[in-house]
Amino acid sequence: MNNLLAGILPQSGGLEASGSGKYTLAMGVLALLSVLGVAAGVHSLIAGHEHTFGVSRGVPWGILIAAYVFFVVTSTGLCIVSSVGHVFGFENFNPIAKRAVFLSIATIVAGFLVIAFEIENSWRMPVGNVIGANLTSNIWWMGTLYGAYLFFMMIEFVMLQKEQHKAATGFGLAGLLTGVAAHSNLGAVFGLLNGREFWHGPYMPIYFITSAAMSGCVAIIFFTIIAYKANGWKMSEGMKKSMESVAKMGALMMAIIIFFTCWKMISGVTGNPPGKYETIMTLLTGSYALNFWVGEVLLGMVIPFAIILVVRGRNINALFVAALAGMVGIFVMRYDLVIVGQLVPSYHGMGLVDYPELLSYAPTLHEYLVVLGGVAFCGLFFLMGEKLFRGHVAEHS
Amino acid sequence: MKIDDLEKTTSEDLGVLPSVVRRNILKLGLVVTGMYLGGSILSLTSVRNVYGAGVVPEVGKYPYNPHYSMVIREKLCIDCEQCKEACVKTNHVPAYGFRTTILEKRRSLGGEKFETTFMPVLCNHCNRPPCVRVCPTTATWKDEKTGIVTMNPGRCIGCKTCMTACPYNARYFKEETRAVDKCDFCFESRLSKGQTTTACVEACPADVRVFGNLADPKSRVFKLVHAPETMIWVLRPETGAIPNIYYINS
Amino acid sequence: MKKMLLVLVLGAGLLSGALLFAASNAQEKTAYDEDAYGPKAPIVWVKPVRSVIFEHKIHTMDAGLDCGSCHDSLFEMENGAAEKKDDFTMATLYKGGYCGSCHDGSAAFASNTRCTSCHIGARGHARLNSQGGTAVKSH
Repeated sequence: MNNLLAGILPQSGGLEASGSGKYTLAMGVLALLSVLGVAAGVHSLIAGHEHTFGVSRGVPWGILIAAYVFFVVTSTGLCIVSSVGHVFGFENFNPIAKRAVFLSIATIVAGFLVIAFEIENSWRMPVGNVIGANLTSNIWWMGTLYGAYLFFMMIEFVMLQKEQHKAATGFGLAGLLTGVAAHSNLGAVFGLLNGREFWHGPYMPIYFITSAAMSGCVAIIFFTIIAYKANGWKMSEGMKKSMESVAKMGALMMAIIIFFTCWKMISGVTGNPPGKYETIMTLLTGSYALNFWVGEVLLGMVIPFAIILVVRGRNINALFVAALAGMVGIFVMRYDLVIVGQLVPSYHGMGLVDYPELLSYAPTLHEYLVVLGGVAFCGLFFLMGEKLFRGHVAEHS
Repeated sequence: MKIDDLEKTTSEDLGVLPSVVRRNILKLGLVVTGMYLGGSILSLTSVRNVYGAGVVPEVGKYPYNPHYSMVIREKLCIDCEQCKEACVKTNHVPAYGFRTTILEKRRSLGGEKFETTFMPVLCNHCNRPPCVRVCPTTATWKDEKTGIVTMNPGRCIGCKTCMTACPYNARYFKEETRAVDKCDFCFESRLSKGQTTTACVEACPADVRVFGNLADPKSRVFKLVHAPETMIWVLRPETGAIPNIYYINS
Repeated sequence: MKKMLLVLVLGAGLLSGALLFAASNAQEKTAYDEDAYGPKAPIVWVKPVRSVIFEHKIHTMDAGLDCGSCHDSLFEMENGAAEKKDDFTMATLYKGGYCGSCHDGSAAFASNTRCTSCHIGARGHARLNSQGGTAVKSH
């Protein structure tokens, strides 16, 4: 075990994390938040979601599912971004590859942490998934493939640390393929529900993969810049060049997402398709308009896209602002996608009396704490990684 | 005016309209609201019409035997909710949940007048149940013998995907069993113990709910569903789930 | 010119609004006399099934019946008297008892048709109660 660790952990070289006082404080705060989140999660499992969460019979999925989707979207995206460099050989992407692989593990583990509290009997899953395997269930495929994905990504990371690049590339490719398959299945979890007009159709899996790529670019810029700023490291020319390339790829993905979103909205309004129209209008002019226009459109698309274009991906401070806006915006996108898709009740459009036009959902303190715990856990993982792996510096870059 | 005088006057209610007119108005209403044979105006897709098939399967083409199903004689429902109470008692349904409930439709009759129709809803025990497809652990399945969509609470992981997949809002999470709960046509509480009908059917004072084996030509559900000149509809046919709760007005 | 037009339109709007308001007020005041037409509040029976509504207004003021048409031959005037009786059922109505005296298909729609005209159900009853609450507040 010690030998294995010694082989993985770099003993010298790379970048040394600075300011142990600051580091310990940050770690302490994040650990505290993680523990708080876990405590809220455990309490909600014991007391029951009926009493602790804002979810209901009509809106069974809440902010925890949104946070889970956010984490796995980011993880898949980081995997895609990392593979651009060392699987497909675009050298500009090499300097960020190690950190991206590490963070893809951190984000998916945080995602699993959050969903463990959303699934009310997660302990039944390991056995149930095997003896009750349902091959028509997208959730089953997603869970199983993400399990394999985590395994591949961990092996890939170990191989990267051990400088076994051939093996790393192989496992990276395996991770990429299972990640994309798993993630499109997550899209299909929503997209293949015939009764939910806002989600139904091939759009979801396609959109999920594209927004994963966008999230991956945004996330790696975000975390890399934080790591460098917090530790007072100086970016190498290679890293700067890499940031620029990632930012440009991110901008391209944002353009595609803007294009997708435009047509999603237009097709949801034209001809008032029942069930879909009500949902789209909730986003455009209804109770989720602020989320949509400010959160999704401004923070998630327009601001980061405009910033990257204006500075041509070269100004690190500007890139950080773009990435921060992007991260927040992407979270709002996931939240809206999950929640708004459930708001139109089953028997809408039948002329019912005393029947809600739209359902409502608001997260409770328990739910916020679990999500915050997941975010903090991801941050904890990230900070530890920077210190232990000395800034994830690739030797051959 | 005394009763005797009143009896001489002609009634002004809908009874004086020729039945053809009444039927046409009713059909128009159902077509518009998208409930009649898949709907053709408001309904997103009109799958049943497209393929030329009705909502009722061909005789002899029922996939199960007994093929349990329920016919709801909707017009007769008076929302006394004795069915709900019986269900709660029989199946230990908690206060925050329900396995069956009554919805209320309103149709304008012109002016300030309107007509109320109560619409009982429950699990449709679909032939192609979306909830069964999405369950990762097969905690819910369609019973091969009876066609009843059943739950195994011990297998349920609580992911609630079946709840989002169900087009009929027929499922809820029951904290007491830590599993999703739903109507099982009283299989566990009554049918498996030799009784022949569900608690809601037994409780209904207006004979709204008729339960039985659709594959048996002698059963009342068979006779109702295959009666001549009867309009039969199902809820949300556009989802392709092929429900087994039939609604009629006669 | 534009200002004039604005004043004109506003004035016309206000005037017609005031007239309509006055008219509706006047109508309400002369509309219902409880001594002649019976209690204004609807009666809701919850036995033997929830919940059946009866409105004096529809039967007296609107349909022209007087108190003697039903009281005390079909219904005692005492509140809740019918509900206590075992024969206050649809079966009795079909034989011409209680409401079935008129609701036989000739004088008025038959008791075995148009169920929800009178059966407002648990939902209707609940709504009536909540509306009653708000109506009292607004007056």
